[in-house]
Amino acid sequence: MASENAIAADGAIASGDWHPAGSSRSIEARLVERAGEIAALPVAGEKPLAGAGLSWIEISARVGSIPRRVTFPDGSVFETWDNDGVDRYLAARGKGGAGLVHWLEQFRLRLIVIVLAAFVLGGIVYRWGVPALVEVAILTTPPIVPELMSQGTLQALDKTTFSPTKLPDDKRKEIADGFARIAAQSPRGTGAYTLNFRDGGFIGPNAFALPDGTLVVTDQLVEMAGKDTEMIVGVLAHEIGHVELEHSLRQLYRAAGMTGLIMLIAGDVGSSVEDVLVQGGGLLALSYSRDAESAADRRSVELMAKAGYDPTAIARFFTLLEEKLGDKSDTSLLSTHPGTPQRKKEITDYARIISGQSDPDLQ
Amino acid sequence: MSLAGSPQPAGQAGGFHRVTFTGKASEYFGIWIVNVLLTILTIGIYSAWAKVRRNRYFFGNTVLLGRSFEYHARGVQILIGRLIVLGAFVVLNIIAAVLPILVLLPTLAVLIALPWLVAKGLRFSARVTSYRNVRFDFVGGAGGAFKAFILGGLLAVITLGILTPLASRWVSRYIGSNLRYGGKAFDTDPKLGAIYKSWFLSFLIAVVGLGIVALLVVANLSLILPMIETPGSLTPEQQIPVFISIAVGYVVLFSTLGIAGLFYRAGVRNIAWSATTFDAKHQLMSDLSRTRYTWIAISNVIVTLLTFGLMRPWAAVRMARYTWEHTGITFNGDVGELFSTLEAQGSAVGAEFMDFEGFDFGF
Repeated sequence: MASENAIAADGAIASGDWHPAGSSRSIEARLVERAGEIAALPVAGEKPLAGAGLSWIEISARVGSIPRRVTFPDGSVFETWDNDGVDRYLAARGKGGAGLVHWLEQFRLRLIVIVLAAFVLGGIVYRWGVPALVEVAILTTPPIVPELMSQGTLQALDKTTFSPTKLPDDKRKEIADGFARIAAQSPRGTGAYTLNFRDGGFIGPNAFALPDGTLVVTDQLVEMAGKDTEMIVGVLAHEIGHVELEHSLRQLYRAAGMTGLIMLIAGDVGSSVEDVLVQGGGLLALSYSRDAESAADRRSVELMAKAGYDPTAIARFFTLLEEKLGDKSDTSLLSTHPGTPQRKKEITDYARIISGQSDPDLQ
Repeated sequence: MSLAGSPQPAGQAGGFHRVTFTGKASEYFGIWIVNVLLTILTIGIYSAWAKVRRNRYFFGNTVLLGRSFEYHARGVQILIGRLIVLGAFVVLNIIAAVLPILVLLPTLAVLIALPWLVAKGLRFSARVTSYRNVRFDFVGGAGGAFKAFILGGLLAVITLGILTPLASRWVSRYIGSNLRYGGKAFDTDPKLGAIYKSWFLSFLIAVVGLGIVALLVVANLSLILPMIETPGSLTPEQQIPVFISIAVGYVVLFSTLGIAGLFYRAGVRNIAWSATTFDAKHQLMSDLSRTRYTWIAISNVIVTLLTFGLMRPWAAVRMARYTWEHTGITFNGDVGELFSTLEAQGSAVGAEFMDFEGFDFGF
C-alpha cells in the first residue's frame, strides 16, 4: 500500500459533525478506526457517540467535493467535508477509494477523451442508432396496428369532412382500372391496396394513402384533372410509393426517437437549450418529409414505366398545380414538400435515367 | 479541506445569513460530461443516476451557516418512477393512434393525472432533501396543485397573461405554505399588488416586442396583401424582403417574450421568497437583480449553443451561484437553540422509499 494511502497511526480518518438519528442537533466530532470498528468520537473525549464495523455503515459516494455522510446502523450520521481523508481510508481498506465514476469525473487531461467519446457516441446514436431503432420498430410492428390506425383515420374523416363521391360510375371505373394496372406492378400486389373515392369537402383536390394501403382520391382532384386519367394514375402511383416505403410509420417513429434522444440528455442541457433543440428537430423532420416526397415521386415514375404509362405523368399534375394554384415556390427550409418546379425537374430527369438514357446532368 | 471544521451554529447569533454556493464549473464539468457519456452508453438508463449525481452536487454545494443541503434520492427510485410515467404515456398514445375517436384521451388523462403527479413530485423532492440531517416534507394535495397549476395556467393563457400574477400567487402559496421542515411549517403570502407591479414591466417589454412585429407587418403590407389574394403573383425577388421580415419578426417576438418572462420570473422569486416565513418567525429573503438575472440566463443559452453544449456546466454553476447568493434568511433568536430542537417528524422519515418520483417539478 502506498504511503499516501496509509491510515494515521491513531486511526483518525476525518473530522466533522455528528448528528443523532433524525436530529438537527450536532456535536463536533472525529471519525476514527478502533479495533476493526469505525466510531464517531466527540472532539475532546474518548467515549464513542456511535460505532460499527465497516460493512455495517454506509458511506455516501463521492460527488465533487460536497460533504460525505457516514450513516451508522443506529441511524446517527457523521458528516465531513474531508473527502480526501475518507477516500484514503477506503482505499487503504481495499474499498476502491472514491470510486470509478469520481475518477472519470476529475478535471484532468484524460477528460478530453471522455468529451470526444460523448460527442462521437452522440453522433453515432443520431446518425445510425435512431434510424436503426426506427427500422426495428417498423419490422416488429404487427400489421394490425397500421390497419387499425388507417381504419380509424378514414372513419373519423368520413364523419367530419368527407361525403360520398358524386363522380359518374364510368369515370370511377376508368381510374380504378388504371390503378389496378400500377398496383399489379407493386411487390405487395393488387390485393394490398384499396382505392376509395370521396367528396373532399373543404380539403379540396387531394389524394393520400393510409399506412395499410387504403388510398383516397377526392372528387375535386379528379375534376381538376379533367380528361387526363393517366395523370391521376400517376398521383396514385406516388401514394403507393408512400405505402411501400412505409413513410407514415417511419416518420412517427423517427419523431418519437428524436424526442426521446433530446429528453434523455435534457436534464443536463437546461430547458432553454432543450427548446432550441426541439425547434431544430422540427426543421429536420420537415427535411425528412421532403425526402419522403421525392422518394415517392421516383417510385411513381418506376411504377408508371413498368405498367406502360407515361412515367412523367405526375409531372403534368405539378404543372396543373402551378397553373391552378399558382404554386411556384422554391424549396425552403420550412416546407414539408419540395418546391414544385424542382420536383418536376427531378421527375423528368429520373424518367430519362430509368428509360435507359444517360443522366442528363452528365451530358 | 478548507471548509473542514466549519463554523458551528451552536451559540451562533441569529440575524441575517446569506446562502452561499461553493460549486465550481471545472468540477461540475467532469460530473456533467460523464453523466452524458454514461447516459448514451446505457441507452438512457443511467440518466436516473445522472440526475442523482447532478442534484447531489448542486444541493451539496448550497451552503447555509457552514452546512450544506443534501439530496438523498436513489437512482433506482427515479428510474422506476420514470418507467411508470413513460409506460402510461406510451399506452395512452397507442390507444389514441389506433382509435382516433379517442384522440383527446391522452390530453384528458394528463389533465386529470397531472395535479396528482405534481403534488407527488413536490412531495418526493421535499422528502429527499435534507439540511442538518432533517428532511423537508410537503403536505400539498392534488386539489391545490390543480388550482395552482392547471386552473392558474388556463386563466393566465385565456386572459393573454393579464391574470398571470394571480396564477403566480397561487403557485407560490401552494408550494410555500405546504412545505415543512422538522415538523415546523413554512408560510407564504405574497401580495398581489407587488406581483402586478413587477408584472407591469414584463408587460411593457412584451408590448414593445409585439409593436415591432406589427410595424414589420405594416411595412410589408403592400407585398403581403397580393400574396394572400393571388398566391404566386410575386416574383422570387419580391419575396425576399418578406422572408427576411418573417425571420426578423420571429426572432424579435421570441427574444422579447423570453426577456419579459425572465424579468417576471426573477421578480416573482424575490416577492415570493421575501414573503415567506419559517415557523412564523424566521424571515426568508431573495434580492435578485432582474436585469442581471435576465442577462445571465440569456448569455448562458448563447454561450452554451456557441460551444456545442461544452459550456453548459459553467452556465449552470453561474446561474446557481447567482440565485443562491441572493437568497438569505433572518433568524429570530439563537440559531443553535433552534437547530438543537428540530427533529425529523413521522411520515417524512424513510417514507420516500415508498414514494415514486411523479412529475419532477423541482423547487
